[in-house]
Order: sequence, then structure tokens, then C-alpha cells
Amino acid sequence: MMVMFTFITYVIYLFSKKIYTKITVPFLHPLLVAPILLIVLISITHVSANQYLQDSKWLSHMLGPATVAFAVPIYKNLPIIKKNIGTILTSITIGSLVAIFSTFLLSKLFHLKYDFIVSILPRSITTPIAIEVSKEIGGLPTLTTVFVIITGIMGGVVGPSVLKWLSIKTPIAKGLALGMGAHGAGTNKAMEYGKQEEVFSSLAMIFAALITLVWGALLIPFI
Amino acid sequence: MIKLGIIILQVCFLHVFLFLGTALKQMIPLPIPASMFGLFLLFLALYCKLIKLKWVELGAKWLMAELLLFFIPSAVGIVNYQQIFSIQGVKIVLLIAISTIIVMGMTALTAEKISARKRSEQH
Repeated sequence: MMVMFTFITYVIYLFSKKIYTKITVPFLHPLLVAPILLIVLISITHVSANQYLQDSKWLSHMLGPATVAFAVPIYKNLPIIKKNIGTILTSITIGSLVAIFSTFLLSKLFHLKYDFIVSILPRSITTPIAIEVSKEIGGLPTLTTVFVIITGIMGGVVGPSVLKWLSIKTPIAKGLALGMGAHGAGTNKAMEYGKQEEVFSSLAMIFAALITLVWGALLIPFI
Repeated sequence: MIKLGIIILQVCFLHVFLFLGTALKQMIPLPIPASMFGLFLLFLALYCKLIKLKWVELGAKWLMAELLLFFIPSAVGIVNYQQIFSIQGVKIVLLIAISTIIVMGMTALTAEKISARKRSEQH
């Protein structure tokens, strides 16, 4: 069974990516389509979600080395980072603080349950790291994954309008905002703007994770 | 086929840094994930030229390109949380929309202000 579900997940993943390259609309995002198809499949075949999770476990395990791999783009872009370190650090420090506090305040305002609050706090950082942070602060990794996915898709949709309303002009500001607000999906969007935006977006994504961890370490005792 | 072999080998090699990160985490009692320590160690190893970029480049590129695949199982796990398919779910989507707009706006404005100031200093 183990190999089978891993294989099925992979095939469905390729299929949903293919659809998205043909029809690029937000609600056909592979991260919506693939899980929905799989949920339908396991319900038809009467496989429990826990059984599925057990069988596809090693796919989730790859998130560990994938996080380690982010060292490579940092190393390769070192000259750009050094040149813009002040702008990157200031913007992302402010961005991640705003992310944590606005999420926290809104979840209080909306009377979310405690489980949901701790799971939603790391939502503005990239999934592999958000899952780890969620575990550290007592959240539920599955819920966190879904919140991160919603954040990414949402950011891809509202991002360009936000940048337009505020008439943001510089590539660095566009890239950092997209990467900070919508991590991987934001970086995908940034590619449409240009090479510089893409680099800054992926750097924002990595720095957002690093800086959120610092905030986490400082703020967790108060949650 | 050779490329696939290289990717597999390099992904295994990246695990070494993950294990080192896990060891480091046991020594440093901070709420930082082991994989982040691993990221830091790999960066140091590259920076200090202890390892060559080409030893990890292909494997790293593959892992980052297929990132979506690795969190599909977690997303499927959502069926275990029925409460999300309710008013709570609607509230959460609304919350995320509002917060994401604020976060992007603040980040963009900050970066734009700083780079504008930098440019005027140069002239």
C-alpha cells in the first residue's frame, strides 16, 4: 500500500500541475485540486485519512531536507543580499510583525478556538518551516498547512491589486511584498513581473521564515 | 537517468545536514526547528568552502521545485478536522484575506520608502 499511495499522490500532483499550466485561475491551484482529488479518492475507496497519511509519510518527510536546501539560494544571491540587506531586514521585520499581530488580533476578534489560533499564527511563512513552527508552539501541522495554502492563493489573487493601489514602483518593494505576503505562491506571481522581483520575492520568503522564528522565540512565552 | 542518480545522492547528502541540525537542536534549547539549524549549517559549509556548491545544487533545486508535492499529504489531512467546514472556515478565509492585504501593503510601503531614500542620497 505504501508505495501505491505515494505513487498515486505523485501522479495526481503532476496532473493538477498540468491543469494549472493550461488554465491559470486561482481556484484551480494544484494545492487545491490535488488534495481535493485525493480526498475524493480515499473516500470512494474507504481508506481512512490516517491510513493515507501513514502511507504517504515519506513525502512529508522531504520537507526537512527541502528546508535545508534553502541555504543554496541564500548562498548564490549573497551579493544581492549584502547590497540590500538594510531594506530586506527592515521590510521583512515589519512585515512579519504585522503578519503575526494582525493574525492574532483578527483571530481574537473572530473568536477562533485556541487550536486554530496557534495553528494560524505561522501562516505567513513558507509551509515546511510553518509546519515546524506550528509544532513548536503547540499548533496542528495539518491545519497550519491548509492556512498557509489559503494565504498563498489569497496573496496571489490580491497581491497585484495591493501593489497597484499603493502605486508601488521598485522591483525590490514588489518582490519583498509578494514573498512576505504569499511566500511560494507570491514568488510564482513575482516571476510574472520580472527576474529581480522573483529573486527578492524568494529572498523575502526565506528571511520571513528566519525572522518569524526570532519573533516566535521572543513572543511564544506570552501566548 | 544519471541526473536522477545525482539528485538522489544529493538529497541524501542534504539529510546529513538535517541530522547535524537535529543534533544541534538538542544542544540549543530554542524553539527553532531542526531543519532551520540544518539550513544554517549548510550555508556555513558553503560559505567556508567546506563543500562545493555543485555537490548540493541539483538536489536542492529539485527539492525546492517540487515543494508542493511534499505538503499535499498534510493538506489531505484536513478531512480529520470537520470543524473547518463551517462558519469557522469562512471566518478564517476572511481573516487571511484581510491580514494578507495589510502585510503586503506594509511590506511594500516600507521597502519603497527605504529604496527611495537610498536613491535620493545617491544623487
